[in-house]
Amino acid sequence: MNKTLFAGLFITLVIMAAALFGKYFAPHDLNESQQVSYHVDPNGESTLIVPPTPPSGDYPFGTDKYGYDMMAKLLAGAPYTIFGSIGVAFARLAIGGTLGLMLGFFGQPKKCREGRFSIWNLLNGIPIFIIVWMIMIGITMNPLTSTLKMTLILTVVLALAGIPSVASTMREKAMVLREKQFVLSAKSIGASPWTIVRTHIFPHMKESFIILFVQEIVIVLGLFGQLAIFDIFLGGTKMTFDPVEYSSLTNEWSGLIGAARDNVYMYQWVLFIPLAAYILFILGFHLISVGLEQLYRKRFAKVSQI
Amino acid sequence: MPKALQLAWIVPGTLLVVLLFAMFPAVLHSDPMDGVLHVDWKNGFSSIRDYVEGFGNGQAFRYLSGSNELSFWSQIGDSFSITLFYMAVGALAGITIGVLLGVYFAVSRAAWLKRILELTSVLPDFVIVLLLQFLIVYLATETGFVFFKVASPTMDDPAIALPLLSTVIIPANYMIRNVALHMNLTLTEDYISFAKARGLGKTYIIFFHAVPNVLPYLKADLHKFMGILFGNLFIFEYLYNLNGVTLLVFSNAFAFGNYQYNLVVNGILTLFVLYAIIFALLRFFIYGWEKVVVR
Repeated sequence: MNKTLFAGLFITLVIMAAALFGKYFAPHDLNESQQVSYHVDPNGESTLIVPPTPPSGDYPFGTDKYGYDMMAKLLAGAPYTIFGSIGVAFARLAIGGTLGLMLGFFGQPKKCREGRFSIWNLLNGIPIFIIVWMIMIGITMNPLTSTLKMTLILTVVLALAGIPSVASTMREKAMVLREKQFVLSAKSIGASPWTIVRTHIFPHMKESFIILFVQEIVIVLGLFGQLAIFDIFLGGTKMTFDPVEYSSLTNEWSGLIGAARDNVYMYQWVLFIPLAAYILFILGFHLISVGLEQLYRKRFAKVSQI
Repeated sequence: MPKALQLAWIVPGTLLVVLLFAMFPAVLHSDPMDGVLHVDWKNGFSSIRDYVEGFGNGQAFRYLSGSNELSFWSQIGDSFSITLFYMAVGALAGITIGVLLGVYFAVSRAAWLKRILELTSVLPDFVIVLLLQFLIVYLATETGFVFFKVASPTMDDPAIALPLLSTVIIPANYMIRNVALHMNLTLTEDYISFAKARGLGKTYIIFFHAVPNVLPYLKADLHKFMGILFGNLFIFEYLYNLNGVTLLVFSNAFAFGNYQYNLVVNGILTLFVLYAIIFALLRFFIYGWEKVVVR
C-alpha cells in the first residue's frame, strides 16, 4: 500500500469533487453579499458587522471586503484552476511528448555542447511567466470577450510555452532507449520504425509520461500563481480605476491570491484561505508524483552502494 | 558553424531577439470597443524604428516614471547594483549550500528531512515569499516585535533580511535536490563499490570519487539554475518592493496606458548583462570546486 500515492489521490479527488459539486452544498452563493448590520441583544451588548468578516459559523471561510463569501468564491473559481491546469499539462504532454518521442527516435543526436553560451541558453534566462506576461498584458485587462475565451487564450499560450521543455525531456529519454538491445533486435527481425516506437519505445516511457504529466500540473499551477502576482488572471482581469484595483473575473484561485496580495497585513484570511487551498492542491499533485516515483523505483531502480 | 562566427552572432542575435520579444505588448492587444484580438505588426515595427532613431536624439534612454521623465542611465546604476548583489548572493550561497547539503541528503538516512525538502521545493517561489511575510506578521502580532521588514516601505529604507533569505532558499532548494539526485545515481556505480572494496573511507569516497562526477551535471544544468534564479528575482523584487532592475522595468512598463518599449528593451538587455556576469561567476566558482575535489 503506497500511502503517499493514496494521500495525494485522496486530496486531489476531494478538491475536484468540491469544485464540481460543492456549489450545491455551499451555504452562500456568489450573488448574495453580507450587508452591514447592527444588532443589540437583550443584555444591551451591541455588535456591528461590517465585511470583511473573519471566518465564523455562518461564513466558514469569512467574507471579502465587498461581503462576498470566500467559500462561494473559491468554489466558483475552482473549476478554472483545476481543469485549466490539467488541460495545459495534458496539451503540453500530448504535443510536446509526441514531438520529443519522434525527435528522439528519428532525429540525429546533437553534438555535445554543454555549458556553451548560445542565444538559446541566454533565452532560458527569461522566465516563462515573463514571456507569457508580455503576450497577455495587452489582452487581459477588462476583456470584452467571454471569460471562457480568455481562459482558452491563456491556456493555449501556456501550453505552447511549455512544449519545448517537455519535448526535450522526452527526446533525451527516447534517445537513451533507442540504443537498447531490444530495439536493435526488433529492427533486425524487420520491425518498422513505427512499430518500434509504438510497441517498444512508448511502453518504456509510459511511466515517465505519467510522472511528467503530474509534475507539469504542478508547474502550470505555479505559473498561474506567478502570473497572478503580476495581475494576469486566468479568465481575464477586471481593472477598476480610482483606486486602481485588480480582481479576477473568474474567481480562479491564483487570481484570488494575486488580487488579495496586500492582505498580508490586514484581513489576512482573504489572502490566506485561497493560498491554503492552492497549496493543498499543489501538495496533492506533488504527493501523487512522489508516490508514483516510489512505486516505479521499487520496480526498476538499482540500489545505492554506500 | 565555426566557434568564432557563433560567438560573433551572439550580440546581434540577442539584440534582435530582445527587440522582437519586447514588441509583444505593442503588437497584441484587444480592441477597446468590440474586444476583438488585434495583431498590429505595424505598431510593433514602428516601435523598433523609434527605438533605433532614439539613439540619435537620446529618446531611447528616457522614460516616464509616473509623470516624471527620467534618464535611464541615471536610474539604472542603483537598480543594477541591488539586483547584482542579490543575484550574486543567491547564486553563490545557493550553489554552496546546494552541494554540501545535497551530499548530506544523498547519504543520510533521515527520510523525513528529504520529505520536508521536497514539500518546500514544490511550492512556487511567490508562495514561499508570501508565507515568510505571513510568518513575520504573525510573529509581530503575537509578540509585538517586528523581526524583519516585510517589504521596503521606501527606497531609502529597504528590507534586507527577508529578500536575502528568499534569494537563497529557492535556488538552494533546487540545487540540493539536484545534487542529491545525481549523488544517488553516482553512488550506484561500480567504481564506488570498487573504491569501497579498496578500503577507502566513506568521506573520501564521497568527496573524491562521487562529487567530481556530479559536478559536470551541475555545469550542464547551470542555465536551468540561472532560470530559476532569475524567475525568482522578478517575484521577490516585486513582492518585497526592492528597487532592482526588474521592478524598474515592471512598474514603469506602462505609463498612462502607453507601453514604454524602449524602457523594456533596455531593461531586458540589462538583465542579460547581469545573466552573463552571474553565469561567469558561477562557472568560476564551480571551477574552484573542481580544483578542490578533483585530484
